[in-house]
Amino acid sequence: MRDEDVIVLEEPQLSAAERLYLPQILDGVKTTLRHTFSVKNRKQVVRQYPEDTRQGRGELRLANYRGVHRLNKDPDGRVACVACFMCSTACPAHCIHIEAGESPWPDREKYPVKFDIDELRCIYCGMCEEACPVDAIELTPNYELVGLTRAEMIFDKEKLLQVYEETKDVKPRKNPPVTDYGLTGGQSKDVAQPNVERKV
Amino acid sequence: MPGIASWVERSVRAAGEWNLNGMSTLLVIFLVLGATGLFLALPGTRGGWRPVGMALLVAAGILLVFVLADFALGRELPIWFGGCALVALFAATRVITHTKPVYSALYFVLLIVAVTGLLLLMSAEFLAAALVIVYAGAILVTYLFVIMLAQQARLAPYDARAREPFVGCVAGFVLLAIIAAQLLVAPSGVGAEPTVEEAAGTVEAVGTLLLTDYIIAIQLAGLLLLAGMVGAIAIARRQAADSTPQNGGVD
Amino acid sequence: MKSILYDKTTQAIENTLRNPLVLIVAALVLGAAALVPLWMLFPYYRWLLSDPFWFPIIVMGVMLKVILTSTAVCILAERKLASFTQDRHGPNRVGFWGLLQPMADGLKFFLKEDITPANVDKPIFMLAPVLALITALIGFAIIPWAGDVHWPWMPEGEVVRTQVASLNIGILYMLAVGSLGVYGIVLGGYASNNKYSFFGGMRATAQMISYELPLGLALLSVLLVSGTVRPELIVDTQATTGMWYVFYQPIAFFIVLVCTFAEANRTPFDLAEAEQELVGGFHTEYSSMKFAMFFLGEYAHIVTGSAIMVALFFGGWHCWGLTSAADTSWIGMLIKLNVYFAKVAAFVLFFMLIRWTIPRFRFDQLMRICWLGLVPLGIALLAGTAILVALGWQHNLWASLGMNLVLLVLTLIYTARSTVPVTGRQTDLPEIQVRPA
Repeated sequence: MRDEDVIVLEEPQLSAAERLYLPQILDGVKTTLRHTFSVKNRKQVVRQYPEDTRQGRGELRLANYRGVHRLNKDPDGRVACVACFMCSTACPAHCIHIEAGESPWPDREKYPVKFDIDELRCIYCGMCEEACPVDAIELTPNYELVGLTRAEMIFDKEKLLQVYEETKDVKPRKNPPVTDYGLTGGQSKDVAQPNVERKV
Repeated sequence: MPGIASWVERSVRAAGEWNLNGMSTLLVIFLVLGATGLFLALPGTRGGWRPVGMALLVAAGILLVFVLADFALGRELPIWFGGCALVALFAATRVITHTKPVYSALYFVLLIVAVTGLLLLMSAEFLAAALVIVYAGAILVTYLFVIMLAQQARLAPYDARAREPFVGCVAGFVLLAIIAAQLLVAPSGVGAEPTVEEAAGTVEAVGTLLLTDYIIAIQLAGLLLLAGMVGAIAIARRQAADSTPQNGGVD
Repeated sequence: MKSILYDKTTQAIENTLRNPLVLIVAALVLGAAALVPLWMLFPYYRWLLSDPFWFPIIVMGVMLKVILTSTAVCILAERKLASFTQDRHGPNRVGFWGLLQPMADGLKFFLKEDITPANVDKPIFMLAPVLALITALIGFAIIPWAGDVHWPWMPEGEVVRTQVASLNIGILYMLAVGSLGVYGIVLGGYASNNKYSFFGGMRATAQMISYELPLGLALLSVLLVSGTVRPELIVDTQATTGMWYVFYQPIAFFIVLVCTFAEANRTPFDLAEAEQELVGGFHTEYSSMKFAMFFLGEYAHIVTGSAIMVALFFGGWHCWGLTSAADTSWIGMLIKLNVYFAKVAAFVLFFMLIRWTIPRFRFDQLMRICWLGLVPLGIALLAGTAILVALGWQHNLWASLGMNLVLLVLTLIYTARSTVPVTGRQTDLPEIQVRPA
């Protein structure tokens, strides 16, 4: 760093009233009092949570919100996951545990025998959703996640599929892209766009 | 000077009338017990003997209760007086026998509160309030401040050992013996019941006295404090000026 | 997904308690349950009420109860006011408008684990919160709550005082107790064996010793005007003349107000518990009831400070046309008591409003305000008041106001001419000498 880079800031000179400090305090009290008596302001800003939810007000961006995970089902009602381990590799919190098995269906090689997500370890970053090649795992707008034990908070495959059933009306499954094994559901033939070359 | 002369004369006569009967026997036992106990209890190298010293001090305290009770009989001293006095003695003993300086300071606070109680019993209310404000409120808080700033992880050598415990104990208890002899052996002398004037301790009375009879004294005290303050500021200023050049440079 | 912790039963209990009717009925039933035995036993204890020895003890018990309850209410008020200034609602779940929140808070404090960390200085660690609470509470002894009262069954002309102790050192007692108040905080900070707590304690010591000076000076100015140190006489004088001392000595009131903020460790002077720098300051290591005692002590300190200021500057129980010193009936006493409480409550709310308005001072600013601002102002005020007293004009409103105005103008001139910025940002540090490379 050179000397020219240093910006010397002069302390602003205070007026006599500011030096006395009291008028400024009264000014501050005026602001505080204004807020104290503005009922309208606080009614607008604050939501009384259990009765009045963001979802209920329609303020939640359903497509973007990163809440509890779900495992999507394809139109045939089968679990859409192909047990490729992309999500558990991408997961920075190592909270996804998958055990793969031979798929009983002809359109894919593997399927998840076990699929556990530790919701207490999860940091809700959405990397699993980004990584999933078949859009099988998704984060839902559901944020009311409570439990009485730690074991209860490890969601298995059935639980995650059930979350899908509960939330599919609020947030329908995205159009899944094509894999080498053909469509895993949906009608779109869109192929994911390759990344635009990044400028350095 | 005649006051001192008569006091010496009275002391000599009291020493002449000294007998080891009744009260005086108890008193002598108390003094010996107390001196030995205090000597052993003072922090020093006599590690194993400290509990013995404490026990001796407790015994001396119990003895003192009897001495005081006997002394107070017929003199209509309120029981609060004895209570405050005992608490003050206990606190004073702990101030010098405790090895941790913070505890010593706290026992000093307790001592001052107890003495405040004694002053209140003697209707010296202004003095009591002033004692608490000045000593407990300002001086000892400053003591605590310094003690805490200078605290060490382990016991400092000057805290762990009392300096000259033997000479101190002997001198203190000889003095105590002389005073107690005056009080007990010649009860009509200095030990006479003080006549307490109810209004003498109020703010008005003290203020009037200070600003009329003792105006010179209070002006002198004010001057002394002013000189002390000026001196403190002068010392602090010079040190600050000296220390700046060394700390100002940046390498 | 269904919430497990917010089930139907919880909701039902909550909703019942939030019904104002339920609360009113419960209050009436509990009040009746307390009042009926009091009423039935009245003939047996009424001699206590007219006894000059026992009546102060009853006053003490009642007031202790009132103060401890009021600290709980203060905490609710503080949280509500804090929320309102920040456009929030504050606690509103427990009971109607959150009114039962203090009970919930108290229960929580009792049920929390009381942790004594390893390596603390245990006896002092235990002693500190007790000292903090006690020194805050015993200040109430000299407050003249409602003047004299004459019970109907007492002989004609006899009265008892609604004051725990009528000391002839009065305000000096207040100063003495206030100066002991620092021990709780300092010892708490020391015993915790924690650097942050320790710094909190150190700051509190320096701050309290410093701010006792201007407090004493300003109180002396008022005592010069009143000519007595007994708070009950000060209040009686204000009530009979109808002129509160705040009209005579507005600057003294301002200094006492600022110092009370500092002595009670309230924002903007709460450096001893500055969260950003010192975690929690002196009470970092405290939990459960020990922490609650510090907490109660702080609020009790505020209430005591407010009550003293009301007695000294705002006429105590006096209100024009509503109360008078001559009215010694027990109804008059109740009215006086409520007037006093209303004034104290106004002060407490003001304390809270300031807390949520002004940010905390830096420590050197704090010291500069005291030693370069309040102490010279206090000395000048004391000198001015002494001159007024010497001229015999201390009860002349215009002379007193003129003296205060002159002081204000002098302060303005001084601050306007001073070249040192109020923030004091590194103006007196030596220039840094950089050695050439």
